Amino acid sequence: MKDSTKKTVYITVRDAAVVVAVSTVVALAYNALRPGEGIPLVADEEYDIFVPCPEDFGETDPVAPEDYRVAGERTLIVDAQSDEDYAEWHMEGALHAPYDWLDPVPDEILRKIARENPEAVVVYGDGGDPDTGRELALELSGGGIRNVYHVEGGAPALRAAMESSGGER
Amino acid sequence: MIVSLTTTTERAESADGVRFERFLSWRGHAWISLLMRLYLGYIFLLACWHKILDPAGFAVDVATYQMLPLVTLNFIALVLPWAELFAAIMIIAGWRVKASALLIAGMMVMFMIGLGYALYLGLDTGCGCFASEGVEADPISWMTMARDAFWLALALYVLFLDRRPIGVDGFLARRAEAGA
Repeated sequence: MKDSTKKTVYITVRDAAVVVAVSTVVALAYNALRPGEGIPLVADEEYDIFVPCPEDFGETDPVAPEDYRVAGERTLIVDAQSDEDYAEWHMEGALHAPYDWLDPVPDEILRKIARENPEAVVVYGDGGDPDTGRELALELSGGGIRNVYHVEGGAPALRAAMESSGGER
Repeated sequence: MIVSLTTTTERAESADGVRFERFLSWRGHAWISLLMRLYLGYIFLLACWHKILDPAGFAVDVATYQMLPLVTLNFIALVLPWAELFAAIMIIAGWRVKASALLIAGMMVMFMIGLGYALYLGLDTGCGCFASEGVEADPISWMTMARDAFWLALALYVLFLDRRPIGVDGFLARRAEAGA
């Protein structure tokens, strides 16, 4: 390396170091002179960061419990309720796929639905806010299942509608 | 014969060296570099102001990358925006251009490492590069990485090819030459 090049590298690195040093001094002084607005030099507790998990959500439309698609011959009904709620009540013939807030919907469920090749997939959940049926429907749609709907009001609304109509699907 | 071959090789190398030196000393580099400097300075001024005014918010942005230990987060959130500000002012004014270009290139490399790590983790988060507009307005992606690589390339061009910068450095060099 030529002497002139060495000198240029030295001056460049030195100047950059000086800028970093001046930045540090100015930053700390400015922070100290902002009463109430400055931040501690070292954070005393972990920052409460919220990073949503990467999820592939699709689209779903709500349907009423009395909607014709719920009773369609080529409709696949999916029950998103927990095991306990499913044991207490579920629609006959419904595919049980309990919704998990943390884990994505298992591939085997997606494959099972795809194999059925239904005209429509109607999901019902616990009817809460948020509704597990709607959440599962979004995931199924995002997983490539087409024509996915969710029952407004979930299992309680569907159960009430079925009982008032004498249990007919 | 061997002597003759060596001489030919040396001549070729010498010719290449002359061409390279001519390329490096081309006056057009300074004008191209001036455009790049103004652009980079503008980008860095735009990037630093919200971080200076809201260091707590920027500290959260840095923490979101889940890369640095907790003890360093606030220090970096405080100092980095000021380094961005000084580098931006210096590169626009043409004062200590190589040092400011080196700083900008170094910061771009740091940002790209952070981005790459966040993309590797699959974090669905905002870049935090400019005014905090959230993940929807400025999400990280490989496009963000490409954008940073472009800015890094500009900074490296200024660093290596701008030998007579237009601005304060050029003025001082001319005055020194006139004095000599």
